[in-house]
Amino acid sequence: MSRPLASPAPLDAVSVGILWDRLVTIADEIVSALVRTSFSTIVSESYDLTVAVLDGDGELMAQGTYSLPVFMGTAPETLRHMLERFPAETLRPGDVVITNDPWHGTGHMFDVNVMRPVFRGEHIVAYVISITHLPDVGGLGFGAAGAEIYHEGLRLPICKLFEAGRRNDLLVEIVRTNVRAPDEVIGDLMANVTATAMGERMLLDFLSEHALPDFRGLSTEIRTRSERAMRERLDAMRPGTYRNRVDIEGPDGAIALAVRIEVSEGRLHADFGGTGACVRRGINVPFCYTRAMTLYTVKCLTVPELPNNGGMSAPISAVAPPGCLLNAEPPSPTGARHMIGHYVAPLVFGALAEAAPDRVQADCGMMNLLTVQGRHRNGRAISTIYFAAGGFGALRGHDGAETLPGPSNMAVVPVEVWETLTGTTIEHKRLLADSGGAGAARGGLGQEVVIRNDTGHPLTVLCMANRTEFVAQGLAGGRAGTPREHRINGRPVDPRGRLELAPGDRIALIEAGGGGYGDPRDRDPERVRRDVANGFVSPDAARREYGLEP
Amino acid sequence: MNGYRLGVDIGGTFTDFALFDEEGRSLHIHKCLTTPEDPSRAVIEGAVALLERESMNIDDLREVVHGTTLVTNAVIERKGARTGMLITEGFRDIPDMREEKRYDVFDLRITFPEPIVPRARRREVSERMRFDGTAERSPDLEAARVAVQEMVREEGIEALAICLLHAYSNPAHEEALRRMVEASFPELFVSSSAEVFPGWREFERFTTTCINAYAGPMFGRYLERIEHGLAALGFRGRLYVMSASGGTLTPPLARRLPVRVIESGPAAGARMSAVHGRALDLPNLLSFDMGGTTAKGALVREGAAMKVYALEVARTHEFKAGSGLPVRTPVIDMIEIGAGGGSIAEPDARGTIRVGPKSAGASPGPACYGQGGTQATLSDANLVLGYLDPDYFLGGDMRLDRSRAEEAIAERVAKPLGLGLERAAFGIHDMASEDVARAFRIHASERGFDYRASSMVAFGGSGPVHATRVARKLGIPRVIFPVAAGVMSAIGLLASPLAFEVALTRERFVDDLDDAQFAATFAEVERDAKAPLLAAGLHPSGITVVRRLDMHYHGQGHEIEVALPEPAFGVDGLAHLFRRRYEDLYAFAPLDAPLVVNTWKVEARAPDPGIGAHYSVGGRWSGAAAAPKGARRAWFPDLGGWVATPVYDRYALAAGNAVAGPALIEERESTVVVGPGDRVEVDSNGNLVADLEAGVHPARDADCAGDDRRSSGPGGDRAGDSSHEDIREGGP
Repeated sequence: MSRPLASPAPLDAVSVGILWDRLVTIADEIVSALVRTSFSTIVSESYDLTVAVLDGDGELMAQGTYSLPVFMGTAPETLRHMLERFPAETLRPGDVVITNDPWHGTGHMFDVNVMRPVFRGEHIVAYVISITHLPDVGGLGFGAAGAEIYHEGLRLPICKLFEAGRRNDLLVEIVRTNVRAPDEVIGDLMANVTATAMGERMLLDFLSEHALPDFRGLSTEIRTRSERAMRERLDAMRPGTYRNRVDIEGPDGAIALAVRIEVSEGRLHADFGGTGACVRRGINVPFCYTRAMTLYTVKCLTVPELPNNGGMSAPISAVAPPGCLLNAEPPSPTGARHMIGHYVAPLVFGALAEAAPDRVQADCGMMNLLTVQGRHRNGRAISTIYFAAGGFGALRGHDGAETLPGPSNMAVVPVEVWETLTGTTIEHKRLLADSGGAGAARGGLGQEVVIRNDTGHPLTVLCMANRTEFVAQGLAGGRAGTPREHRINGRPVDPRGRLELAPGDRIALIEAGGGGYGDPRDRDPERVRRDVANGFVSPDAARREYGLEP
Repeated sequence: MNGYRLGVDIGGTFTDFALFDEEGRSLHIHKCLTTPEDPSRAVIEGAVALLERESMNIDDLREVVHGTTLVTNAVIERKGARTGMLITEGFRDIPDMREEKRYDVFDLRITFPEPIVPRARRREVSERMRFDGTAERSPDLEAARVAVQEMVREEGIEALAICLLHAYSNPAHEEALRRMVEASFPELFVSSSAEVFPGWREFERFTTTCINAYAGPMFGRYLERIEHGLAALGFRGRLYVMSASGGTLTPPLARRLPVRVIESGPAAGARMSAVHGRALDLPNLLSFDMGGTTAKGALVREGAAMKVYALEVARTHEFKAGSGLPVRTPVIDMIEIGAGGGSIAEPDARGTIRVGPKSAGASPGPACYGQGGTQATLSDANLVLGYLDPDYFLGGDMRLDRSRAEEAIAERVAKPLGLGLERAAFGIHDMASEDVARAFRIHASERGFDYRASSMVAFGGSGPVHATRVARKLGIPRVIFPVAAGVMSAIGLLASPLAFEVALTRERFVDDLDDAQFAATFAEVERDAKAPLLAAGLHPSGITVVRRLDMHYHGQGHEIEVALPEPAFGVDGLAHLFRRRYEDLYAFAPLDAPLVVNTWKVEARAPDPGIGAHYSVGGRWSGAAAAPKGARRAWFPDLGGWVATPVYDRYALAAGNAVAGPALIEERESTVVVGPGDRVEVDSNGNLVADLEAGVHPARDADCAGDDRRSSGPGGDRAGDSSHEDIREGGP
């Protein structure tokens, strides 16, 4: 966690507000440049990237506004590891340090962390770190197929991509030799290098423009104020010790995730003891990811509107026993660590259901990602991801939206785009009535999508579906959503398997509903009637769950 | 050419008129109150009043160009027609499922607007078109007829949206359904998706089509009232309707495609900024319009406002992209910022000042309006700082109460944050300016636009108050305050040519294209783009055609638009063209990945109407010399605080006059705040052109300003320099 803060600098509320927003804008400007220049579609479509601006002491001052939850608070830890390898006093202007080590970065090797120290004269006044999801890192490709980290591709230790402005060509050559789409990967690496250089220029301009010697005073102000805001909201929670445990689908049966959370005196501590052990599939979660998801979830419950920085995360701490699923150690594979890591959100929400009843969310049906490989009818190779969302979990007084992902986020590939890119046909894509958990606030509906292989070639579909046995639970008396299921030609298939789809075969994706919140009998009858009129709730379910004769 | 042209723009409060005398090259402006129950009434009555005032004969009125927010309001307030939908079997729920994406990952209580057509009024049609435009299953017309019949009888629909998958690729099924519906239900207003916007992505296209159908009946009736009203006055000229793309539409086209009229008012303002920029030889501009509740921005590159094919209406969170209904239609690419005169200022969770997006609106309005508002607003801050004159708001039609403004700021902002009154007021002013600057920075950087090398055109009630400060934050050296800025959109209407644009999605690998196919596809799009102009009686030789393509590398998520240089351009040059554009945008070496053409766009345009650069604004100019009409205290932190600042009457300034900052230049609708170091000159048209002295930085006061909080600010023992509380007499 971050160091104790120095006494506040003499900046008043007006100056701090203006300068703070400018720093966030700088991070956002770099993010938009990165989005435009990245080849990885997951970056451009899903903002699977972030930019962090840290002060000369390595404290996080500002971060891009639009970044996925998984990047919360990882940058200071990454920088700490980098400075252990290359101490600050040995760095020179023009150095660029990178790594994709899951334990030093963000949990899997697809994310490259690119750091540039910002010099003003002799001194480092700031660090810029950009992180993007690379198109490829070699190995078995994106997914959970690896049994150990060595299967998952190229793992770059903390190393210099540029040394005093000179590119390390050997390193570039090593990357080029080890990945499937070398031009795109090198292109994305260099996009990060350009982005950090842009950040360096903007930060130095910022200091000159505002006649500041360095970022220390401002950084302290930003973090002090953020920490104060976070503590006030944590203080508003009912203090106590809270526990939760959820079972999830593992490769060899159920795995338990557990947490004990202490809330007291403006602090929150999460201990993930009791969580099951790592498995030999790429779903193990390095602790940096667990911590990021914890910070994200607590931020949702406390100060969702506050810009992210080190002060905000200071009152929050987390631990997990080494070797457990939420604190994986090498050589456990981590490629699809989000599969498990996303569960930190519902785990924490469930634990805090009584501490913050107005803010917690019932379980989401979560998202489903399928990798589809084969050949288009026009002969070109296909390797792409299909995405479909389950229902969103309800909150007190607030229905979960239909087909909305959580806790992570993505946008569906439209039917017309998907069919054009793959040559397959989507036969239908429908909401599933009654799939959302009943409640005073209803869980969001799941959906059914049927894809027919019209390519004339066999297709391989790699699945990693969750919520197949352990459905999205409701809170405070709300009911659970319906489960996720995959079928081929009407027959249920392994939801986490590697499937072959022969020409003409149909795969049905049945997406899970979200959990409800509160007793269904307390639901406003008018809302039930409207749901029945819209076909979201069947007359049967209205009678059974809500006690209403429609 | 002889005659008069009239621009009429309906706003929330006022309907603005701009009458241009082509012979005398003079512009006459007029305002009257908008009549919300029937907006056409203000249009006709205002036109009569203006014509009478100028003793003008209706026979000399050659053209009326009309801009209206009617369609936008109908969608926001859900006052459109009862609309049904025919949709491809299996996909009825697309409007409810949206993009399956959250627009804010931290706010768990996010909401989305209800679909325009509720699920109960959507009927599936058995049919299927494949992505390549081949038919898998023909539409079951008889079943569709029964479905429509049912919706007409039981649901009472007046309008119908026909939305089939891949209709952009082949509209045959939609057209067959349309013929059936028009034959069986002639009273229905029908829109089909390929007609409204033949681009892929079904959720966006279907939503756009539903909005079009929803607005159609109401907008048709409205246009009829305008046409009849004008005809009754004896008007025999042409009527045009402003679109959001910066061009105008003929009434038949506007009736068929009302969705193109959404957000046309701001588009006319941005269009006018571009016209001013061209006249002043400033090709790259930021158009900055700030009013009572919001600020709007647009970028002008090489003399043309930047355009895009996406906008959002009816957002559930007004300023969060993704929270509204997507509309796909050619529009000027506008930024909307939740900062205007009525924006409420308050402490945020960080212990700093937040301004907006909550607004006190027109009622109760800012505290200084004296209508019961107690919240501190941006206008209150600008009044306390001396930037606004309590006795000359709206030219003196409304008096502002300074003591109420002071009280609101003291209680709501200064005390909670431990700030002095002026410091708090300046903080509000500066934070609003920062928010605007931030929005421009992000918008520009997302589009590869270098704002630092640009100029700014500022208008709207609050734009001139904040413009120089925003410009300094962005490092912009020059700000234009156009003449008659209060009716900028109405004038913009007169500067907008008849134009129509069509964008068609046909995804093709460049390698698979030959010149003949390439030319044939463009010819098809060009025919559709030109048709309405030819129908309006334009000679083919008078039509300018611009061709553009959206292209991307295979596998890349974002498309890049390239403009084709000449009509004879063929497939061979595409790769080079794309690469050059790519490098312009990203300064980054491209790849050898296969290139894909995605969308074919053709814009057909009539000649620019000749409002041109040189004209005079009639009726208001006294033409007196450049002497201040008075002085008042205004707060300029760069000068240490209160300064007795000269106040000028804009209408008393003559071409060639110069004013050095600090100064305030007042007109009826707004006040230009000329900062220390700025120099304003009046050009030959009466525009004010401000040059911002290089090297004076806007935010310096933000750093040193903590000083005047020595007593109560955190760490208040820091030694300061000279007191900021001095009032310097005499000004510069």
